[in-house]
Amino acid sequence: MEERGGAGQEAGSWQYRVDSYGFERPEDFDYVTYEEFFSRYLVILTRRAIKWSKLLKGKNSIQKSLKVKRYIRKGIPNEHRALIWMVVSGAQANMEQNPGYYHKLLEGEKNYKLLEAIRTDMNRTFPDNIQFRKTADPCLQQTLYNVLVAYGHHNKAVGYCQGMNFVAGYLILITKNEEESFWLLDALIGRILPDFYSPEMMGLKMDQEVLGELVKMKVPAVAELMDRHGVMWTLVMSRWFICLFIDILPVETVLRIWDCLFYEGSKILFRVALTLIKQHQASILEATNFPDICDKFKEITKGMFVTECHTFMEKIFTEPGSLSMATINKLRETCRAKLLAQG
Amino acid sequence: MAPDRKQKKELWASQTVPALVQRALCKLCSPLKKEKTQPQQFCLSEILARLLAVMLVGDSGVGKTCLLVRFKDGAFLAGSFISTVGIDFRNKVLNVDGVKVKLQIWDTAGQERFRSVTHAYYRDAHALLLLYDVANKASFDNIQAWLTEIHEYAQQDVVLMLLGNKADSTQDRVVKREDGEKLAKEYGVPFMETSAKSGLNVDLAFMAIAKELKHRSMKLPNEPKFKLHDYVKKEVRGTGCCKS
Repeated sequence: MEERGGAGQEAGSWQYRVDSYGFERPEDFDYVTYEEFFSRYLVILTRRAIKWSKLLKGKNSIQKSLKVKRYIRKGIPNEHRALIWMVVSGAQANMEQNPGYYHKLLEGEKNYKLLEAIRTDMNRTFPDNIQFRKTADPCLQQTLYNVLVAYGHHNKAVGYCQGMNFVAGYLILITKNEEESFWLLDALIGRILPDFYSPEMMGLKMDQEVLGELVKMKVPAVAELMDRHGVMWTLVMSRWFICLFIDILPVETVLRIWDCLFYEGSKILFRVALTLIKQHQASILEATNFPDICDKFKEITKGMFVTECHTFMEKIFTEPGSLSMATINKLRETCRAKLLAQG
Repeated sequence: MAPDRKQKKELWASQTVPALVQRALCKLCSPLKKEKTQPQQFCLSEILARLLAVMLVGDSGVGKTCLLVRFKDGAFLAGSFISTVGIDFRNKVLNVDGVKVKLQIWDTAGQERFRSVTHAYYRDAHALLLLYDVANKASFDNIQAWLTEIHEYAQQDVVLMLLGNKADSTQDRVVKREDGEKLAKEYGVPFMETSAKSGLNVDLAFMAIAKELKHRSMKLPNEPKFKLHDYVKKEVRGTGCCKS
């Protein structure tokens, strides 16, 4: 489990451990509690893996259905994750319809300013991941650079937005394939999260406002607290939404959220945020001033509640209650109009 | 819908430090004058402790997060920093001449498109540290644009300081200290060079603004006026071994 076998068991080598994705664990990482969780989770993973094998029967395709949706909510096994993300997001179809397109982008003429912006973030993307180190072989930094450069030239309206480096980095870690990462990034930025990363960031701002409205409906005391102290949602939410919970929640939990993000769309981000807020309502309400509120929003993303990814994913579909697409669309419309009016 | 901007502005404005401290002082002087909602005893340090917001701004990659981490934890670990997305925040309590001052420091993403997300917070900031990288000419050239932005969105009396960061870079340096000084003088802004790597002037930068804010909020009758410019000039250290 998690590269913890063999030589790793020796005394003194507990620190500097890395997880199965290459991320170094912090020195104060609680191995005992994590082991305890993971041994339980392993049982679930095994059961899901068997179910998925039966579902796929060795095929490389899948039709969207209620059953598949249910399966995805319960987690895609790591060995199928890249394929399922590719298929359900439409990235696979786009890639097949545009053979050679990715490489043409890399060979084409370059926007120097864009390259510079991307380069600035190369050493600042997952320095805690051994695969992204300059000394790693293969070094994923070059892969990341290529994906971001290609994307910036493919979607010129977006170009490069900080945060995309982390998102693309995760895609590379999961797919281990440059071109697939590119098409998945396109699915996210071009379709699933429209206008999140563009210069005006209207989609992001709109959804932050929508979240504010949803909190008002579902956890009014917290909304009132934020109001009273003048804390705008963008202060606590922009990182959550732009990084799609990377570096906010544990890796395994983020991947489970992304499973649903690729299948069900951006609504899942509201579910996650609302669950975190609702679950920790009592704690948040203890805050009596602006900085404390900010701190609370950092605290609520830590601990066993978010580490236990399977239980957490069950919670996000129950805790916030119903969240119809009609409600969200209506809120989006009003929030957008309001933002446009503000200029 | 969320409360409109004006409401929020008033909300925050209503709790600015000077107003609160004045009220507190008022109450200490005339304890008989009753105000129902306020407790009888006011601890000045507590009032200050929660209200000073400092914002770090400047181009992407100039070292805002590094500066903050150096100040907060006294550490600099090369290659351990990640690019800041949106806005991040950390708290630090400083002891300024015997008064505890709690700084809430907002670390912002430098990329231009994030400005529309972050400038909503300019007006809530009591102090701004504007950074450029002495090894990056473009970041220096952009300072004017940043100042325009600050002028447009920040409070008029915001405490502002210009910092030329990465002063430890000797070979890569492209912006001379005199250039920074000249620009700062032009805009009447205090200036110093800093290095998050070596620690040069990092604590001083935060201490200077904390002192200024403290003095502004507690104008005691017999105290001489605190002069930020003079203080910075006196305390600042050069990149060499001697005081500049």
